[in-house]
Amino acid sequence: MRLTVNGTEHEVVAPPLTTLLHVLREELFVTSPKAGCQQGGCGACTVLVDGEPRRACLIPLAAVEGAAIATVEGLGEADELSGVQAAFHEHYAAQCGFCTSGFVMAAQALVVRGDGAIEREEVIEALSGHLCRCTGYVKIVDAVTAAVRSEVTTGSPA
Amino acid sequence: MAKHRGRGFATIEYPTGMNQNGDPSQAWIKLKPDGRVDVFAGTVDIGQGSKTVHTQIVADALGVPYDWVTMDNSNTDSSAVCTGTFASRGTFIGGNAVRYAAEKARERILDIASKELEISADDLEIVDGEVLAKGAPDRKISIPDVAGAATYVYGELITGNGTALKPLAEVDDDDGSVTVEPHSAISYAACVIDVEVDDETGETTVLKMLQVYDVGRAINPTLVEGQIEGGAMMGLGLGLLESSYPYYPSVEHRGEQFGSYLAPALEDLPELENVILENPSVDGPFGAKAIGEMANNAQPPAIAAAIHDAVGVWVTEMPATPERVLRALDAKREPRREGKRVIYDEEISVAGVSADGGQAFWGVDA
Amino acid sequence: MKAVGARLPRYDGIAHVTGRTQYVDDVRVHGTLWCKALRSPHHSALILSIDTTKARALPGVHAIVTHEDVPHNVYGHLEGLGVPADEPLLAEGDVRWKGQPIAAVAAESEEIAQAAVDAIEVRFEQREPILDIRTAADPDAGEHFHQWGAIYPHFGPHNHRRVRKGDVEAAFDAADVIVEGVYRPQAIEHCPLETQVSLVVPEPSGRLTIYSCTQAMYFSMGVVAAHLEWPLNKLKFVGGTVGGGFGGKVDTATETICALLAIQARRPVKWRFTREEEFLTSSTRAPWHIEIRDAVTKDGWILGRRMLTLHDAGGYARFSPYGLTKHAFHHTGAYTIPNLRFDGFVLFTNRVPTTAMRGFGVTSVSLATELHLSRVAEQLGMNPLELRLKNANRVGDTTGNRVVMHDPSTVVVTLAAADAAGYELGEDYRAMTSERRSGDLLPEHLVAQQAPDGEHLATYRATNGGAR
Repeated sequence: MRLTVNGTEHEVVAPPLTTLLHVLREELFVTSPKAGCQQGGCGACTVLVDGEPRRACLIPLAAVEGAAIATVEGLGEADELSGVQAAFHEHYAAQCGFCTSGFVMAAQALVVRGDGAIEREEVIEALSGHLCRCTGYVKIVDAVTAAVRSEVTTGSPA
Repeated sequence: MAKHRGRGFATIEYPTGMNQNGDPSQAWIKLKPDGRVDVFAGTVDIGQGSKTVHTQIVADALGVPYDWVTMDNSNTDSSAVCTGTFASRGTFIGGNAVRYAAEKARERILDIASKELEISADDLEIVDGEVLAKGAPDRKISIPDVAGAATYVYGELITGNGTALKPLAEVDDDDGSVTVEPHSAISYAACVIDVEVDDETGETTVLKMLQVYDVGRAINPTLVEGQIEGGAMMGLGLGLLESSYPYYPSVEHRGEQFGSYLAPALEDLPELENVILENPSVDGPFGAKAIGEMANNAQPPAIAAAIHDAVGVWVTEMPATPERVLRALDAKREPRREGKRVIYDEEISVAGVSADGGQAFWGVDA
Repeated sequence: MKAVGARLPRYDGIAHVTGRTQYVDDVRVHGTLWCKALRSPHHSALILSIDTTKARALPGVHAIVTHEDVPHNVYGHLEGLGVPADEPLLAEGDVRWKGQPIAAVAAESEEIAQAAVDAIEVRFEQREPILDIRTAADPDAGEHFHQWGAIYPHFGPHNHRRVRKGDVEAAFDAADVIVEGVYRPQAIEHCPLETQVSLVVPEPSGRLTIYSCTQAMYFSMGVVAAHLEWPLNKLKFVGGTVGGGFGGKVDTATETICALLAIQARRPVKWRFTREEEFLTSSTRAPWHIEIRDAVTKDGWILGRRMLTLHDAGGYARFSPYGLTKHAFHHTGAYTIPNLRFDGFVLFTNRVPTTAMRGFGVTSVSLATELHLSRVAEQLGMNPLELRLKNANRVGDTTGNRVVMHDPSTVVVTLAAADAAGYELGEDYRAMTSERRSGDLLPEHLVAQQAPDGEHLATYRATNGGAR
């Protein structure tokens, strides 16, 4: 079946109940979404499916036929980070980095559908299903709040 | 019926390095022909930022811009021993290893520069990637030129290697005494926690944590904040939410997923206020001590003290779950008094449950 | 100095936010097989037989290992520190915790590997689990599963870690109040977002490349080398970038078993713990049981402390003796207590072996002793900060181990916190410093413990250096 990932169309052959996470990581070698728990409990596998943040470990391949999948690899690169990526880097929102991809995609969805105004409580609400064990969340909330409000020195970080 | 506020306090200390020492970290450095610096350190970065901190240390120990330095800790063929990333030894012991390596490389740089400039090495200094004559900075040579001269004129690979190792401190098995200091440094911290306890549900909400850490020297203050904040949430989990064995000592009903094991989530985040103090160590890199491990030690006792301040009960089995708080409120136990002894918690003590009062433990030689 | 003290960006920051940081599970090697382990379903049992015949016959199974395949099965991680070995890599003769690995399979997919695991036949004879450290050494406790008995016996000639200083009984006699309490900090999970994982790749040269999530590359390499009886240069550990550890990724939980499978299969083998496996079978923080008796005066001096600590090691010793020793070294916390009696025991129970976790050994001290001091303050009707300031470590004070304090910060951090939080303190407390005790801060009972001015233990000032 057909799957579009970060703008590129792929022909994927796998059993229909194979999880999107497995397809991305093992078939397409898109490794930014992580296998944190494989039960939808941690958010580290979060990708955008037609713009909505979803848990790739819970989605069977058959359910995303024809959908547009977005992962961190499609957001930006070292020499041109996206606004959300620059915000995470500037605010030191990643320590070990393992949960970062999931948070970044959830934040990206928040930025795209937002209007630039947001309170910290709303950020916390929107990200509440994501776990981080290293940072204590403070700098993640700072980064996402800044990204939504576009208070980021876009482009290259400090 | 009501929510009650309370405040608790704790002051703690924690040693830097493996207890009793004997844990080496080694590093080595080489310069490329254009003067850029390659560091081979063995310290594993588990997120705390050792790759960053060690790069900063090398940059300043050598006198070069930070972005001239590359850090490779990726494998055991090119890196030497670092006993491990634990015991809060990465910045101090791992950092000293890269610092000593940098200092050795610096000596080689100055030696070659002194030949090129015909000035004694003692009269030279390195600033921002250039070797300058002290007091006469127009007499100078860049490190790239020094490295080029080393490669193509003098036939030398500019390197330095360093080992940080404090000798093993033997302990006397009879009285616990040592004659060699058994740590590299000691860090201190204090913590004030404000909570709100619901006396009907037993739930405790942490409202605010004020944390003060003496880290000796904050090599990278933002990374230190990262440890304070991450540790705060881990301490909150340790004090209120998490348990591998909810019915300890029973092994039943263990949580096997994130829904049944309560790792701290965003909704648990209180207000955090961090204060970083710098009381430098004697011989850590640039005076640094440590913070990583101790970062989750002060919160549990401060939370328990705050719960007592709020609702008048002492919960001494962690985590202070709503069930434990409610049971303590129901029991409202006062300590037993016997002469000048004030005796708490007898029902859970060894003497309280053991067939012979715990003679195996209380009965050993004085 | 330009870099030290500066808020420079993380060295690996860009890689993290672009999803490019490579963790072990992101490494792709052609031909990789998946590992699954057969784990004990019982908390405590004898193993009567293991039969892997049916498992080996399944298509897609490339290797199976049991204890018979391990050149050196029982190896102690702390043998270098005098802790004898007690723990097998793969169970041999008995199992001591639910989840203990008995055998492992390498197969073409996780599903085939799991089917093979399910096809391994093991006969057990169950034993009654021993779970409560407080009663495990009772006279009527019956036979204990561990070859050393209920209590770890190798603290020199003793079965407990001891600290003895001054005269604690005299301190109790002299005290106005003796406050006694019991503290039970519990086991928790490290719970990093990245579970335990390793990938072992056999190289054409006969070496093994081991992609590992370990927090300690050479330490883990030493463990693998010891089990295989190989020299270190036959192994290459690759890692250095880990998705969280917190002390749980030192145990070398997957590397050696994957190595044995890779050698047998002549294929790369990967073992990635499921989250359930991580929660239920990876090592935890230790549960502790701590009883404190503090002899105090009504004006807030802590004259002496008697402390009993029981540490729950789970099924095997691992790092527990080291953790308990560290606990003993710091059992007075940030304060100076001149008369001490500490006895600490490591107990074996039928649960997952406990291990280091952030603060190892001292986390339990902080919980117990700080909470205890809060109670002491309440009993004395004293400001809890003033109690701490009075007894705080000062220059020249000695600890229970006779370490001489040369630069303690108890007073500094306590006053800074008091200031920031708005605590009321008496004038004389606000003016306190860490300088050598004298006058009112040097009562009779603290004189003997105070080291002569300028005296320190050997190597308090390190003179480490690099090679010539």
